[in-house]
Amino acid sequence: MYGRRASQLLRELASCEAGQITSFNDDNLEQVIRECNEHNLQLQSLIRKIEDASLDIQTTRNEDHYGAVIHHLSLTRNKRCLMAYIFNRAEVIQSLRWKIGPVLPQEIKEKLNYLEEEFFKNHSAAVESYMSELDLDMTVDMVPPKDPYIRVKVLDDIGEVFLNDHTVNLTQHSLHFIKRTDAEPFISQGLMEEFLE
Amino acid sequence: MPSYYNIDDVLMEDEPISVVFQVGANGVGLLDPGSETNNIEKGAKVDLPFWLAHELYLRQAVSTNVPACFSMKTRKEIQADASCVDLRFRCPYFYELGYKIAPLVGDKSIGAFLRYAFTSRYGEILSKSHSTAGTAPKFSARLTKEESQLFEAARSSMAAFKKWKIGGSRLEKASILGRKRKTTLPQPSIP
Repeated sequence: MYGRRASQLLRELASCEAGQITSFNDDNLEQVIRECNEHNLQLQSLIRKIEDASLDIQTTRNEDHYGAVIHHLSLTRNKRCLMAYIFNRAEVIQSLRWKIGPVLPQEIKEKLNYLEEEFFKNHSAAVESYMSELDLDMTVDMVPPKDPYIRVKVLDDIGEVFLNDHTVNLTQHSLHFIKRTDAEPFISQGLMEEFLE
Repeated sequence: MPSYYNIDDVLMEDEPISVVFQVGANGVGLLDPGSETNNIEKGAKVDLPFWLAHELYLRQAVSTNVPACFSMKTRKEIQADASCVDLRFRCPYFYELGYKIAPLVGDKSIGAFLRYAFTSRYGEILSKSHSTAGTAPKFSARLTKEESQLFEAARSSMAAFKKWKIGGSRLEKASILGRKRKTTLPQPSIP
């Protein structure tokens, strides 16, 4: 059926939770583009048929015209599906910069197309240059702070980290009382958690 | 008007509509599984996705029938006990499709029917969403896409309210990393 494969792409995207991302479906995308070329060929041949019968292309409403209309509509439908697929993925990828930071973990990277990776890098660079212009890190304090310091528990061996003016050894299971803004990137990456008594 | 990129709107337009061709069309035999040639004859009865049926209707190439999910049978069931009807099974985009199909089939009662169905199901959705902890699989499986978004919104706002009562939000791990399995390999340390 026309347009079926293109909507499968979107179904795949819709089935995962908001903010999550599925692997880029290269095969399906290729097939949809091939389908588009097929529609285009059929459309051209039907139009040629009308012209060969020396009928006016603007006013003719015969079987060939309606066949051409259906192929044209299928093309625009496929286009909408493909655009929506790319656009919605791009939105999620943008949000990753704010949620995880400038470096993506391997398991997420694997799901992206190389152009999407490029997009992420460029978006990340744009955000960073804006932040350095403002001299303000906009990715911290996503939750309004009550106290500038926070008690954290380290979940994974992070090692020696330079915070402000002294180094801290962040070994697994250790507890620290550090600046909230320093802890925030580690928490969002899942390496620390807020420690509550 | 939903945006061009709206996934739900794109998928809604995929719902099948039964139409009768008022004209013939060449080179599109794929649409009609009963057709032996590569053409569609005048008078052929075919199921088309809404996006195609709608545009062809505007060009007076097809006449549309009322989809099964707005049939008399469904209406009777909704009248009997609205919240028990499995609308997702009938059509996951019940309201959106009804809204778009109504001008095409010339059935004026669809609008009132949609409103009746929505208002009588709404109360149940709201009370269930506030009282259930986690998900209510049996109930939410019956909801259309729009209704489950409503259900989820009500549930999460109630959860956020409860969280606020016990001391506000905390810093959390990015949700996209949530499903990561614990690796035992030595991780490179972050400077």
